[in-house]
Amino acid sequence: MPDTTPPPPGADEQWEQLLHQWRGQCAAAQPQPHFYGRVRARLPRATTPPRPLLPQWLRWPAYAALLATLVLVLSGDSAALGSGPYDARPAASPGR
Amino acid sequence: MYSLSLPAAIEPPTSRLAPAVAADAELLARLQQGDEVAFRHLVEQYQNRIYRIVLALLHSPEEAEDVAQEVFVEVYQTVARFRGEAALSTWLYRLATSRALKHRRRARARKRLAYFTSLLGFNNEVLHEAPDYAHPQAQLEGQQQLQALQAHIARLPEPQQVAFTLRHEQQLSYAEIAAVLQTSVPAVESLLFRARQTLRKYLQSAFRHA
Repeated sequence: MPDTTPPPPGADEQWEQLLHQWRGQCAAAQPQPHFYGRVRARLPRATTPPRPLLPQWLRWPAYAALLATLVLVLSGDSAALGSGPYDARPAASPGR
Repeated sequence: MYSLSLPAAIEPPTSRLAPAVAADAELLARLQQGDEVAFRHLVEQYQNRIYRIVLALLHSPEEAEDVAQEVFVEVYQTVARFRGEAALSTWLYRLATSRALKHRRRARARKRLAYFTSLLGFNNEVLHEAPDYAHPQAQLEGQQQLQALQAHIARLPEPQQVAFTLRHEQQLSYAEIAAVLQTSVPAVESLLFRARQTLRKYLQSAFRHA
């Protein structure tokens, strides 16, 4: 149910006065002196991108080689690496 | 049939704004060319307004200063992509209000996390809440009401809070607020109506006690 109570007499004036007071308080606020200097000091940090460890042209072949190695390892075809269980077993001598 | 000539006194406001719009367009063009002097001019022209709107939303001079600086850094970095769909001031107000609200959301999330970690005993830090007592001087009736107003503004939903602050602190028109909030003028009217209604309801008791 909406509140239909009329505002007390003088409430409008008090409200306007309070808003005026708030506006006055806000209008007095200012940033510290030399604001532009501090903004300017933040610009090079913000605009200069971080220097990469490796140049871009060198990174793409490195990514491709890494991907190829990963595919090879995950393919399960590890016999070529010589680490299978049958390779490790010593061959039986024919005399025994 | 008759013709009515409009005297200069009731000239439409758009023609009075034309020089300001032209100046903004020129400033924008220079900014987009990377003109350092133009950037300095922009900062000096808008720093107080941007600082005040951020301060009204954050209530902390240090945080307001930091966020205001971030706003201008963002302007510097992104002005080349600004197509001029809105006025320069509208764009700045939009950046300032969205950055201030984002900053406040992050601060609140950090505070909540710190509270829960302290409850779970993950750290031994003592949480220092902002003192809630008023300075003896602030015990004065008017100051108390002003503090109550600020506290209640901070509790309004974000769009209402931004609309109310832009209207009553920065004294922007409904159309300008609508441009900042990217909404319609009737929507701004509704936001302001609800904000005023809520604030007046809460503050009525304060007036009664005063």
